Amino acid sequence: MAREIYAYECTECGTLHYPFKMRCRNCGELEPFKFKTVPLPKRGKLLTFTKVYNLPAAYEVATLGIAIVELENGVRVTGQLEVDDPTIGMDLLGDVGVVREEPYNRYWGFIFRAA
Amino acid sequence: MRDVYVAGIGITSFTRLEYPLAEIAAFPAMLAMKDSGLTDIEQVYVANMGAARVNHQTALASAVVDSLSLTPAGAASIENGPASGSAAIKEGFLAVASGMHDIVLVTGAERMREVNNLEATDFIATLTHPLAEYIYGVTLPSHAAMFTRLYMEKYGVTERHLAMVAVKNQNNAMLNEFAHLHQPITIEGILDSPEAMTNNPYVAEPLRFFDACPVSDGGAAVILVSEKVAKSIDRPLVRIAGVGQATDTHAVHERENPTDLLAVRRAAELSFGMAGLTPSDVDVAELHDAFTILEIAESEEVGFFAKGEGHIALEKGETALDGRLPINPSGGLKGKGHPVGATGVGQAHEIVHQLRGEAGARQVADARVGFTCNFGGFGNNVICLTFVREN
Repeated sequence: MAREIYAYECTECGTLHYPFKMRCRNCGELEPFKFKTVPLPKRGKLLTFTKVYNLPAAYEVATLGIAIVELENGVRVTGQLEVDDPTIGMDLLGDVGVVREEPYNRYWGFIFRAA
Repeated sequence: MRDVYVAGIGITSFTRLEYPLAEIAAFPAMLAMKDSGLTDIEQVYVANMGAARVNHQTALASAVVDSLSLTPAGAASIENGPASGSAAIKEGFLAVASGMHDIVLVTGAERMREVNNLEATDFIATLTHPLAEYIYGVTLPSHAAMFTRLYMEKYGVTERHLAMVAVKNQNNAMLNEFAHLHQPITIEGILDSPEAMTNNPYVAEPLRFFDACPVSDGGAAVILVSEKVAKSIDRPLVRIAGVGQATDTHAVHERENPTDLLAVRRAAELSFGMAGLTPSDVDVAELHDAFTILEIAESEEVGFFAKGEGHIALEKGETALDGRLPINPSGGLKGKGHPVGATGVGQAHEIVHQLRGEAGARQVADARVGFTCNFGGFGNNVICLTFVREN
């Protein structure tokens, strides 16, 4: 089964949030957890990016691509970027993979490649 | 609200310090008490970000108040990321302005060289969103780099402009005995020469080594007092005229316009509004240049220059020590150093020093209005302070 990253849609006004919030930024509904999960699309455009050389502990690689991507439904996400010569505005296709490994823990998130 | 004055200041060198964190907080506090002649401290605020995580110590303020033999004064620790220092000043300001206290000590300290570079980078990265940013390996340099790339695309900022900030601030730091970096640099050495790429490698493209501040230990303190106390001591009167604080989204990707720093703009507006002053009244400013791009962007957002024109003012020398509006005469975070919890208090220290006319070789002539911008997170929690010399 394909892994998904979820956005949170306010059940009162339909506004999409990523990441999760307790309170809708649009309608301000005060009843907690009035959100339904909606899988985020995988296609998007590259908004900005960097190639990082000084990584925090837990990354045993020389460099890491990091990007902010606007997905095709308008929601923006941060993710890892595996593109050799990225350009702002290029089309990307995301995959959900392991983005951080710690002893006994693996974290899954977006890894974007050229579409 | 009552008026609030800075009666005393103190600072350690920003460098690698080999003594315990509580003493890094207490040392500048001793200097500030000596400077003001005041020891009847009623309340202590200690600004710090990493005690629990980096130094394995909690409840730092309780340790500091005891080390200073100020018990039974009230004491509290303030953790607000890299804006902890100014957040603690804001609390001290409120304690005096409210009428609850007449003499408040605010001291900020960090000891982050205790851990290696990987752990220090990871410690700072813990202020990012845990699920939407941190898990990807996002660091503060990577946020600054992605921001820089957009600024370059939109406004024509180049690596040369960034290098100009680094050169200006490290050269200012040469005149500051407390600064971490006493290393004069040139555009030739970090950008143009054949050796430049070795001297100045990328840390997160397009940001290079000399675009980032050093990892520093250090402490700084101020003593805040009511008007009655201020007028009873023989010190120049520097008043905190404006305090502004604002926040922005935790995850940077949620911002509608990724080249805006809305919390900086709002905090500055609030600070100037309270002071009844405008950006054009400012004679000297300390802006939070953890990365060179931030000095340029903040100089626009706080209202010194139009959006997209900060790098042009820099090119013209307007922000140099002898320019129209000197920015970061202390060396800034870039040259003076960035012991995160102490940084905001360190900025206030420099501005009070300048407004008192005590800054020696880096003194800005006739400085009467000073301004600080302390930038927490990647712009998600910002505090701007306006200072006025009154006599």
